[in-house]
Amino acid sequence: MPESAPSSDTPQPESTQQQSKKEEKAASFGAVFLTTFTTVFLAELGDKTQLAALLLSAESGRPVLVFIGASLALISSSLVGVVLGRWLSRVLPPGQLERLAGILMIALGLWLGRQAAVSMFPLA
Amino acid sequence: MQLPLLASTFLTVFLAELGDKTQLAIVTISGTSSRSGAVFAGSASALVLASLLGAGAGGSLSAVIPTDALQLAASVGFLVIGGRLLLKAGQDDETEEIAQDAE
Repeated sequence: MPESAPSSDTPQPESTQQQSKKEEKAASFGAVFLTTFTTVFLAELGDKTQLAALLLSAESGRPVLVFIGASLALISSSLVGVVLGRWLSRVLPPGQLERLAGILMIALGLWLGRQAAVSMFPLA
Repeated sequence: MQLPLLASTFLTVFLAELGDKTQLAIVTISGTSSRSGAVFAGSASALVLASLLGAGAGGSLSAVIPTDALQLAASVGFLVIGGRLLLKAGQDDETEEIAQDAE
């Protein structure tokens, strides 16, 4: 490949490459968004956060204000989680982090599943 | 505006949420994905929608939505994500070893 080759051809493949990269990025943004949304939403329903929100809204009779406060708190806490995750991904090697995260997720899944199962089919 | 009520809601929910399973899941997804923005947008909107349901439906939420079944579905999702991460961890270790062998 001559180094000083005129680049009349190169911009086109580059731009298509960039485009496909962009599409890939957009798709993965949507996929990551959807995965996170579904997981967090399902896990959060019926959780203690909602219990707190319910109690506060029942006592105060001002559900809008309670909703704003709860939303701000939840957005802050998810920001803390995201920042913590980014920090961990910089500190730990990816393989090790994935293994730790996988074990954590499976443990959470088992615990959550047990809780739900016990609540659905109470034994004694 | 009743600032004390707003502040007390914020503090209660924020403290209840710290170290919660949801936040652990967010840490996990964010740490193992390159798209922190998508993780933040997804988790924040999910949490806001869940609390909207909580504040709006009041005590009747568990009567309207089968929360236990949803939690069971969530636990399956956690298991799937965890399993995929463990598989990926194994693959990453292999590629690391190959790279080390090449050196």
